[in-house]
Amino acid sequence: MEEQVGAIWHRLITRWADDRDPAAAVALAPQQSRLALLFRALGGDPGLRIESADATTMNHRRRWLQRLAGSHQQVVLAWLDERALRLPAVIDHLPSRDLNWALYRWLVALAAVAPWQPRHWLAGNLARTRLLLQRFPGLRESYQQLLTAHLSQRPDPATLPPLEGQRERIIQAALQQPLLEIGGSPTIGEPLALSEPTIWNRSADNEPLLSSALAMLKHRLDPVEADQLTIDLLPTAPRAATPLPLWLHPAPPRSQGDRVPLSDSEGDQGARDSAAQEAADQRRRQAQRVEQPEQERGLLALRMENILSWGEMVSVDRSLDDEEDLQRAEQMAQDMEQLAVARQQRRTASRLRFDLDLPAAASDDLPLGGGILLPEWDWQRAALRPRFCRVQPLLASDTQPQPLPPHLRRSAHRLRQQFQLLAPARVWHRAQPEGCDIDLDSWLRHLTDRAAGHNVAADRLYREMRSGSRDLACLLLADLSLSTDTFIDDERRVIDVIRDTLLLFGESLAATGDRFAIYGFSSRRRDPVRLHLLKGFSERYSDHVRGRIAAIKPGYYTRLGAAIRYTTRLLLEQGSGRRLLLLLTDGKPNDLDQYEGRYGIEDTRMAVREARRAGLEPFCVTIDRRGNDYLPHLFGSGGYVVIHKPSQLPARLPLLYARLAG
Amino acid sequence: MPTPTVAALPFYLPQSNEVELFERAWRHRLPLLIKGPTGCGKSRFVQYMAARLARPLHTVACHDDLTAADLVGRHLIGEGGTFWVDGPLTCAVRDGAICYLDEVVEARKDTTVVLHPLTDHRRILPLERSGEQIEAPPSFMLVVSYNPGYQNLLKGMKPSTRQRFVAIQFTFPEPALEQQIVTGESGIDEATAAQLVALAGALRRLKDHDLEEVASTRLLVYAATLIAGGMDRIAACDAALVEPLSDDAETVAALREVVHAFFDRG
Repeated sequence: MEEQVGAIWHRLITRWADDRDPAAAVALAPQQSRLALLFRALGGDPGLRIESADATTMNHRRRWLQRLAGSHQQVVLAWLDERALRLPAVIDHLPSRDLNWALYRWLVALAAVAPWQPRHWLAGNLARTRLLLQRFPGLRESYQQLLTAHLSQRPDPATLPPLEGQRERIIQAALQQPLLEIGGSPTIGEPLALSEPTIWNRSADNEPLLSSALAMLKHRLDPVEADQLTIDLLPTAPRAATPLPLWLHPAPPRSQGDRVPLSDSEGDQGARDSAAQEAADQRRRQAQRVEQPEQERGLLALRMENILSWGEMVSVDRSLDDEEDLQRAEQMAQDMEQLAVARQQRRTASRLRFDLDLPAAASDDLPLGGGILLPEWDWQRAALRPRFCRVQPLLASDTQPQPLPPHLRRSAHRLRQQFQLLAPARVWHRAQPEGCDIDLDSWLRHLTDRAAGHNVAADRLYREMRSGSRDLACLLLADLSLSTDTFIDDERRVIDVIRDTLLLFGESLAATGDRFAIYGFSSRRRDPVRLHLLKGFSERYSDHVRGRIAAIKPGYYTRLGAAIRYTTRLLLEQGSGRRLLLLLTDGKPNDLDQYEGRYGIEDTRMAVREARRAGLEPFCVTIDRRGNDYLPHLFGSGGYVVIHKPSQLPARLPLLYARLAG
Repeated sequence: MPTPTVAALPFYLPQSNEVELFERAWRHRLPLLIKGPTGCGKSRFVQYMAARLARPLHTVACHDDLTAADLVGRHLIGEGGTFWVDGPLTCAVRDGAICYLDEVVEARKDTTVVLHPLTDHRRILPLERSGEQIEAPPSFMLVVSYNPGYQNLLKGMKPSTRQRFVAIQFTFPEPALEQQIVTGESGIDEATAAQLVALAGALRRLKDHDLEEVASTRLLVYAATLIAGGMDRIAACDAALVEPLSDDAETVAALREVVHAFFDRG
């Protein structure tokens, strides 16, 4: 009873305190690709993705009702880091849908206008806003509206304690300042040229840009307040300022790739506690963050009567757990509905090594021998590392010849028929000794030659319709990494779908007579990258090949760049006029070493560009739903396709090939 | 075939030394190859140079069914038998004109081989069918152009053909220059022209990533012309800069957002 009343009270008071309108909410996910394009167009780094940001806890002053309800403690703000632009998953705190959407656009523009520099929160955001409003007149009106809506949600400085009031006055002035500078009503006739520098340099400190923004602001403040303001300091107050959703995050949680020095000035801007909090992992499943329970480790944290089900959180300190059975842990994690994870403030040794971003000794000093050595692209140095990966071609030896599995026979039959029709188009062959029609050109030529007195034989005057041969070679490269071991439905794993796809692809192409090869790959760091030969170019598509395809197994990781470089070489050996490199993957490039993340993406991108420069046509087919985030960067907008239902892949791939080859 | 006459000087703003290079190539009887993306002013440049040098211009837009006979000429059947008709290339050689083959990679590879004897020191055009051999007069010049964009990579020019030309690369003009071009072509005001050029810069950043072809100077001039004619700025950009660049509904919607950042709705 007690509990029920409590729950009802909580619901009631939370709803009461909640000033958000669910009808006005705009979610990030459906708009992600649109925002990403906007980000790139306005000058953002095309290598960055857009992801949803995690909430940070701030100890800002809340309204009485919000305090009572215990809500509004967590704030989601946007920020940029080395890997992504992070935006709130939902924006719903402004009163209308249009305004919430406008805020998304505003944040994207704010992040795109200049490279990320984590220092100087106030001056930085101020300078960004000025640049934006000066460069993009179309944003002025929407900033005006956003500002009006946001200012109505900010506290009145007069009602705050003196220090906080002072700071609030500065912040509100800083929000309004850029609009006043461009002179109120937005018009197109504004001169774009600025008297001060407008180039925001990634390496430099950009002091002039920031201090000129501050100088303009100081004009509007009274002298006492203006004195308080320096480039990276706001007046300090015991509580943090009310969050500013129109600006980028004052102290974003650090992601693994960042190596930002901790400066004191950041903490002063009100969120010292949040800076220590690390929370930048992508949300792979519904996750719930809980505070680290404050008790000695190893003690059972919860009283027995509180344990309601298996899903209840049990405090286990795993920070120094040496257990390596990741697979088991992963399985258990999948069985849970919710994961509760708390971050400790301390770091373990392994974590430290990761942050220093040094390659592990094992992956660095090993001399490479045998196999084929290929270079790899290091985007940070912007140079190829020569002879860096060893590709080991493999041929399964113990496979038995196998016929086509029964469940594929019907679709194989249908595809074969379709592909026989599709086999190289029939063309007119001219100047033939015999044919179904007179070749007028040849005949005319014959007559003119005779009229000119030449004695020529009356042959080759006909034309005939015959099928030509297509001058095309195709190599299908399939990802056989460990991630293909996951189940897509109750019965089948990704690898099963890939197997079916390879089989049907082979059946279809064998019907056209086009030259093709099938390879599979996986990798374990840079040595070796395993390349499984499933069907070579000169090999006939037979039961031996089917047996090899039937025997593919998931294993290891996805070092895509090396695999592309190797198959590019194979394709270049083919003398065909058109060479198609088809890639079949289920996720991003990754490996145990630094290949995870941006490094792998950039290496793959470089490998694709090399292939394209060599005259190949690389094309990627993926079943990764998130493919739209990174594949345009790798393959260009027309260079890939995302298949949302993996079960459709076997039927779709041959048709895709027909479109590409046609 | 009607003989083109020398045209009036069209509007053209030089980007760098291309005018001088063209003149030198013409004076020294060298063939010229112009590379550059769609709509960056290649054809306009050739038109301008022909007028400047006071030579007639024969333009051939190449396509994949273009045969050697289409360039050189062919026999036709007449009342009294057959007779020979010169193709545009032959006409240009006889006239000592400038012959411009636009998008030359589109033509079949065997077709471009007829150009070979014209492009080296011999400067002759052998007419295989009539047995005639025409020597090109000093004022004759061959100019070809193509777009080395991604979609033409497979149709790249044969190296043996490419090697016979003096080549020049065209890109989209610098913003200040492009603004002048847009103003000069459409008569639009400076500020709007500057905004349009900035918008084009944003759209060009999407090359290869989101778009295969980016906003050309030509499209900018179209947009400016529509605006100068009284059309709403956003609607004009929509029609001239957004819709022509993509068929994908999602991309079009996103490109509109970019336009909205540059032009207010008012």
